[in-house]
Amino acid sequence: MKTAYVAILVMVALLVQTTLVRTGAGGGTPVDLVLVVVVLTGLQRGPVVGLWTGTFGGLFQDALSGGIIGVSGLTKTIIGVGSGVAGSRFILGTVWHRLAFVIGASLVHAFCYFGIYSLIGLDGPMLPINVVGVEAGLNGMIGIFGSWLLRVMPAMFHRVRQGRNPLNRRRWMTS
Amino acid sequence: MDRRQRIGYLVIAVVLAHVILISAQVNAAPGTSVLQSVTFGVFTEVQRWVASARAGVVDMWSGYVGLRSVREENLRLNAEISVLRLELQEQRALAHQTRSLERLLELRETVALPTLSARVIAADSTPYFRTLTVDRGRDNGIRTDLAVIAPAGVVGRVVGDPGPRAAQVQLLIDRNAAAGALVERTRASGVVVGTDDSTLLMMEYVSNLEDVRVGDEIVTSGIDGIYPKGFRIGKVIDVEEGVGLYQLIYVEPIVDFSQLEDVLVVLN
Repeated sequence: MKTAYVAILVMVALLVQTTLVRTGAGGGTPVDLVLVVVVLTGLQRGPVVGLWTGTFGGLFQDALSGGIIGVSGLTKTIIGVGSGVAGSRFILGTVWHRLAFVIGASLVHAFCYFGIYSLIGLDGPMLPINVVGVEAGLNGMIGIFGSWLLRVMPAMFHRVRQGRNPLNRRRWMTS
Repeated sequence: MDRRQRIGYLVIAVVLAHVILISAQVNAAPGTSVLQSVTFGVFTEVQRWVASARAGVVDMWSGYVGLRSVREENLRLNAEISVLRLELQEQRALAHQTRSLERLLELRETVALPTLSARVIAADSTPYFRTLTVDRGRDNGIRTDLAVIAPAGVVGRVVGDPGPRAAQVQLLIDRNAAAGALVERTRASGVVVGTDDSTLLMMEYVSNLEDVRVGDEIVTSGIDGIYPKGFRIGKVIDVEEGVGLYQLIYVEPIVDFSQLEDVLVVLN
């Protein structure tokens, strides 16, 4: 059930990113929703779930992208494990901690992504500093909203299954 | 073996698997065909469905909003039609004159290119590559390296193995994209390439001796064997004398790549 939940999250993130946000087209919004899901899943569920989420999310992203298959998979695996380890060792409870963590993870991800391309020595994408900076900031903001959603969603689904009002804020928090 | 060790071994195994996967592609044709084609084939079907739903909502909304100003628009369009009719008459006369001149010069008549319309259903899954997915694929006669154009000008080319009902298009603004190009005014030839800025192209290999000015139109030269000759690419916005033999020519693309909805694939 948990695996299906995470898989659905990754698929939804990928679909929203490619069809609604259109990050890759010229002038599109530079966000990486799959990365946000990987970081939040890692923080919430530990390094193993972070690892698999990163691996599959990244590989799917690679298969749909114009790049080499495995680059995004590898970088997101590293980020997933790192997030899992950080989530199990540090308390990242406040909004600011999570914002800083997602921004940091986005920067590390971009560094690893472009680093792998430069190590391979092929003509990959360039490192547009402004794009990476904007992407990290947007990822951070989406991450805050996402972490709140991840926190309340299981309880909301539980309420829906019980036939009770899922939008009662007090009930989300107490479930 | 404790839990921490198990996780460590798992991480090493997965990272190694990725390194092997990447290494296998470096000196070979890019992409792992099975993984890529299956993922691309399946996922594009879902993307097609989401894109249709999105287009439906957008059409419905714009239809509703459009109704509110339809009278004013109708009046404006009627006035525009009158002007266009007049222009059409002039163009007809001009075309007749041109045809006569062509016959005089024994030039062959331009054959219209066979094209196929396609709808953009998705963008690249990462923010770093500039590709689009269109809803036409192998079943519609799409092959790798076919040119993709929009009414305004050149969009890009089909890359990778097209799926049965979808294909990936590399935009001209992608850093790895290039097209043979000409300065329309002087016929100076060069190569237009993408840059890391999605609103800018560079024209390379144009000699410092060539006359290129700001505002010059850049069109395809056709020498790359992909893009048909004479299609508009963009407009020169800056020219600098290069360090070596060639000028640095900055070109603003004519196509607004962020607003692409429908494109034409040139089948020949």
